[in-house]
Amino acid sequence: MTVKYKTIKEIKQMISQKEISNKEIIEEVYKLIDENSHLNAFITLNKDRSIKKAEDLDNNPSDSSLAGIPIAQKDLFCTKGIRTTCGSKILDNFIPPYSATVIENLENAGCISVGKTNMDEFAMGSSNETSFFGNVHNPWGEKLVPGGSSGGSASAVAAGIVPAASGTDTGGSIRQPASLCGITGIKPTYGRVSRWGMIAFASSLDQAGPMARTAEDCALLLNEMCSHDVKDTTSLDENIPNFEDSINESLKGKKVGVVSDLDLSSLDNDVIGVYENSLQEFVSLGAELVDISLPNLSLSVPTYYVVAPAECSSNLSRFDGVKFGRRSENPKDLEELYVQTRSEGFGDEVKRRILIGSYVLSAGYYDAYYKKAQQVRRLIKKDFDEAFSDVDVIMTPTTRGPAFEIGSKGSDPIQMYLEDLFTISANLAGLPAMSLPNGNIDNKPIGLQIIGNFLDESTILNFGHMYQRKTNWHMFTPEGVKQ
Amino acid sequence: MDKKTVTTISYLSRLKIDSEKEQKIVKDLDNIIKFVDQLNDVDTSSIEPLTNPLEKTAKTRKDEVTAKNLKKELLEVAPSANEDYFLVPRVVE
Repeated sequence: MTVKYKTIKEIKQMISQKEISNKEIIEEVYKLIDENSHLNAFITLNKDRSIKKAEDLDNNPSDSSLAGIPIAQKDLFCTKGIRTTCGSKILDNFIPPYSATVIENLENAGCISVGKTNMDEFAMGSSNETSFFGNVHNPWGEKLVPGGSSGGSASAVAAGIVPAASGTDTGGSIRQPASLCGITGIKPTYGRVSRWGMIAFASSLDQAGPMARTAEDCALLLNEMCSHDVKDTTSLDENIPNFEDSINESLKGKKVGVVSDLDLSSLDNDVIGVYENSLQEFVSLGAELVDISLPNLSLSVPTYYVVAPAECSSNLSRFDGVKFGRRSENPKDLEELYVQTRSEGFGDEVKRRILIGSYVLSAGYYDAYYKKAQQVRRLIKKDFDEAFSDVDVIMTPTTRGPAFEIGSKGSDPIQMYLEDLFTISANLAGLPAMSLPNGNIDNKPIGLQIIGNFLDESTILNFGHMYQRKTNWHMFTPEGVKQ
Repeated sequence: MDKKTVTTISYLSRLKIDSEKEQKIVKDLDNIIKFVDQLNDVDTSSIEPLTNPLEKTAKTRKDEVTAKNLKKELLEVAPSANEDYFLVPRVVE
């Protein structure tokens, strides 16, 4: 009996049939982590406590929805008593005295947090090359990036180490690594999942979500991750449906928006072919393709690279060496303490974004950049509002191609920023969006993005599950197709 | 974007730029600003800025103490603290 490459649904069944004990599951997970240490997917492990929790479950079985399910937590969520680094040197010694709401929600549902996953520093990156703790490798090829920023989470799920991981998504950080690693991940509607205890990058864009092998497992995880939290003023007090309830609904007559002004010219023919094949799969499932227009879509990357750095420069001002984290040694005065701590503690990409943020927020430039970007942000959101009056979901490729090689994007930051071309608009508009595997190019997976209307995760999960009932792209693993 | 601007914004950001990296940073920031400058071609004269996708007024809650006082735990994770305060280099001589 093994849990490698198993889904949550399958592991639940194994536990309930008593085919495996909770302790055996967790012990195997640590064995798999060990065997896959070359992936560098984890920064900190939580072994003793996890084994103890599994033993407790064996002695006192629980009927909680996710009892005994091993999960890897992105190292951006505060975890009580467990080091939380956010992939940065500045937090390499930080042990939070409390846990993020989403961590508490998952653990209250029975999940066992086996460790903290590697990530781009402060979630700023699309290849997991900005982590202080080193690159994460993609299980589909050691030279390949796993995507980012939730690269460790994606790599751990894709390697079959854990059935589930948490991620966060500010401009595509769940969906892009999900695409590059061949797994399923969803960024919920902004406000669905509490941001309390999540280390903030860009507060109006950040949202946590699940990464797993299937849309169905994402629904199970999302059921537990969502909650109204009074500790987060942007947490939505809206009805949270059971996301599993509608996943098997027929897609007959449902409308898929296909963006007519999407510029696919920079994409390889293979990538376009995979995308178009998936659209036809949905047609054969009874859905109807409808041309829609999102005229301001091409402005989402420049808009994002004003809004996100502005919010980041403000949020990251809290890392000053005074209250937590690393402090530089022997500063001669308070000013030097701030400057040295931050200069030693942050990596190049984080510094670049803080500087851009300070620039666009500074006197004389605020209206020209920050206000302007927020106005364009409204135009982008309006385009989506109009499109969703006609369609149920919108589909695009998740990424411009499959995983690229470590180091191949060179030193021009804009080339990396364009990685998130298709994903960023959902964050700007606050909409839920999912990526799921829809093809393989040269034995490298690639994903389809399904964007949903505000608060309508149920519909995208329904589309995702029906697609996965019909196709087997989600069954592909780096070791062959799962039986 | 030039050296002088980078000096100003690095001061505002409380970041020290290594001299050997300065040239690359000026170039990167210049490219990024040129890239986002395409937003200027959009007519936004009558458009209200969107600061947050929810656009809802944050709900107020009753002014009740819900969180536990974590003073001791928070001071414990500080780089330098005594029983009551975070400690920093002397500010007033």
